[in-house]
Amino acid sequence: MTETETPARRAVAAPEVPRRRRRASGGGPGAGTIAAFLTPFFLPFILFYLVPVGYALWQSFRVVRRTGGQYGTSYTTFGGFHQYGQVLSNTEFWSSIGRIGLFGIVQVPVMLFVALVMALLLDTPLLKIKAFFRISAFMPYAVPGVIAAIMWSYLYSPQLSPVVDLFGHLGLHPNFLGPGAVLWSTANVSTWLWTGYNMLIMYSALQAIPQELYEAAKLDGASNWAIAWRIKVPIIAPSIVLTTVFSIIGTLQLYAEPAVLRQISSNISSTFTPNMLAYAVASGNNYQQAAAISVVIALITFVLSFGFMRLTSKRAGL
Amino acid sequence: MRNTASRVRLAAAVTAVASIAVLAGCSSSSGNSGSSSAASSCAPAKGKVTLQYWNTVPGMDKVVALWNKQNPNIQVQTKNISNDQYGTISNALKAGSAPDLAQVGYDELPNLRTQSAFVDASKCSAATAAQSKFVPWTWSQTSFGNTGVFAFPQDTGPMALYVRSDIFAKYHLPVPKTWDEYASDAQKLHSADKNLTMTFFDPNNAEWFNGLLWQNSATMYAYSNNKWQVSVDSAKSRQVADYWQKLIDEKVVRTDLANGSTQMYAAYQKNQIASYVGAAWGYSMFRDNLPSQSGKWSIVPMPTWGTSAASGDWGGSTVAFMKGSKHLYESVKFNAWLNTDPQALALENKLGGLYPAATAGLKMQSLSQGVPYYNNEKIFDVFAESSKNIDTSFAWGPTQKTVNLSLQDAMAKAAAGKGTLSGALSTAQATALKSMKDLAIPAEAAGK
Repeated sequence: MTETETPARRAVAAPEVPRRRRRASGGGPGAGTIAAFLTPFFLPFILFYLVPVGYALWQSFRVVRRTGGQYGTSYTTFGGFHQYGQVLSNTEFWSSIGRIGLFGIVQVPVMLFVALVMALLLDTPLLKIKAFFRISAFMPYAVPGVIAAIMWSYLYSPQLSPVVDLFGHLGLHPNFLGPGAVLWSTANVSTWLWTGYNMLIMYSALQAIPQELYEAAKLDGASNWAIAWRIKVPIIAPSIVLTTVFSIIGTLQLYAEPAVLRQISSNISSTFTPNMLAYAVASGNNYQQAAAISVVIALITFVLSFGFMRLTSKRAGL
Repeated sequence: MRNTASRVRLAAAVTAVASIAVLAGCSSSSGNSGSSSAASSCAPAKGKVTLQYWNTVPGMDKVVALWNKQNPNIQVQTKNISNDQYGTISNALKAGSAPDLAQVGYDELPNLRTQSAFVDASKCSAATAAQSKFVPWTWSQTSFGNTGVFAFPQDTGPMALYVRSDIFAKYHLPVPKTWDEYASDAQKLHSADKNLTMTFFDPNNAEWFNGLLWQNSATMYAYSNNKWQVSVDSAKSRQVADYWQKLIDEKVVRTDLANGSTQMYAAYQKNQIASYVGAAWGYSMFRDNLPSQSGKWSIVPMPTWGTSAASGDWGGSTVAFMKGSKHLYESVKFNAWLNTDPQALALENKLGGLYPAATAGLKMQSLSQGVPYYNNEKIFDVFAESSKNIDTSFAWGPTQKTVNLSLQDAMAKAAAGKGTLSGALSTAQATALKSMKDLAIPAEAAGK
């Protein structure tokens, strides 16, 4: 529930700022206090974020060399952009990017559209027992991705699934784990997991819209439909952009769902998503190349997220 | 509040020192991993020593407790690393904190040796003397063709054919002795009942497929010429691939089941599959997961190519001598006991289900009795015979895991109708050469 309170809390926090400043100018908390408060954040941030990122960057510019033949001792040395060349010329890498691109182009809009519709429905006075719907829509997000994928894997497998049985009674024999379908079965798991989460972000933005706007719109003769699409959606556009960016990042980092479904479907290869490829390469002891793959994935994520933000901020004036 | 500036500096310094200490901790310990001078001789230690032994075997702590009781001066501590066996070992090697002994699968030995993970125990006479106690192919792999002693064999997975005798009897089929008979029986079963298939081909199980290659003496690697000779794609391996490709094309084996999955057991439970090409350790899988089929299963020798009685192995592990061990003499002593002592082997078989690599172990009490689930047949006689018939020249490659993944991905495509299994072998061959080149391991394609 804390998510819904965020805008409200922000509104309360704002007037406090000058007060705090006043105290500071009166010889208040010194740099030592600031450092003491910041250390709990910066120390883990440095150790578990900056250091690993730096280490991956450093690794990605190394190559393995060996002295002494077949069983010789290995060492690493500076190799320039060798690993990047290997990654960029790896067809498996590009097909994993292409696969995930297709996934994202279809899954992200579908998921966000459903999330938006659900958020708008929750926001109308027409819907009763809101708390129940809000919680049930959000519930899947509380299920860890791996568990969700295991659960869905039972629903997909022909040997065990009541859903497949039901289709069978209707004379249909869908193969949810087949070579063409398995990508969309994975997308379905992700959508199930994340729609409620995205819905909640949009819903909390809707909660922050002042009621006066709706009253004014009603006076001007706007229908509920027009209020939803002409007033609510444009106002919460920043939230929609935010959830899109989160979804782009999430898509490029897709790992748990396909990795679990791979246990029962050989149609998910070991290089199905970019992250799975990086993991496969690392498990083959080629840490340098795995590091280069990670850096390239990070760069692509960066370009896509910021590209999308720039594109939308120009159009929506955000 | 007066000392704020110095306090900021102090806080910053603490932060910096802490992070440097962590970094230094990594680099200094990795420097240690190179030194193994303490282990370069085989002198017994003076006084009491403690050994570290990492493994994934259920109940191994109880086996070790037995040793610890009998050997107060050589105490062994176990750690179960089944969560991420090779990740844990690799990371420990990098950090210079590897144990004295670790469980390593046969197919991962070359990979770890190219990471300089092992110490050669052949300087200990007790280590070289152990050779005669193990099934020949296992020693060939732990000694890399008798060039040292890097591990002692622990358990094996000699392969055999599990058959539903009742289904074969129902269709008046004798148990197949050759792969040709197996294929023609597969067609007969499937044409008699379209829901029934002879077996399943799991494209995501390279370890199993490698066992089939092994049976046909389709050697994947050789150590000669100070270079790895790669022969993943060979006439022998293609023979196996083409055979299964034909069965897949004719749809008389299914490809939609993963070995050991709930879905697989469900298919067996529904009497949809008549046989299983499996290993010795698989006997308890069927017994425990399909209790209602008790008495319906038999275990017979693997079908053969022609008249040769050759068999294959699927799985099994060794206990390796890890570099950095300071107590090689004691490690050899414990390792020999662990893997050849009748009491230890019996306990490992009982608690961990290990099928021993020691020849004497194959005759242990619990392995010479009839097994109720299998109609009181002496199934372990079949596995013991299989064990004897396993090619001793088969070797694994230093990037086996990468090659397995590549083979699996390509086999999955073949099963889905894109490409063929023999094409998958050629992909795996290319991956083997490429992955070794990436890690600067000298390799070449063996002359075909």
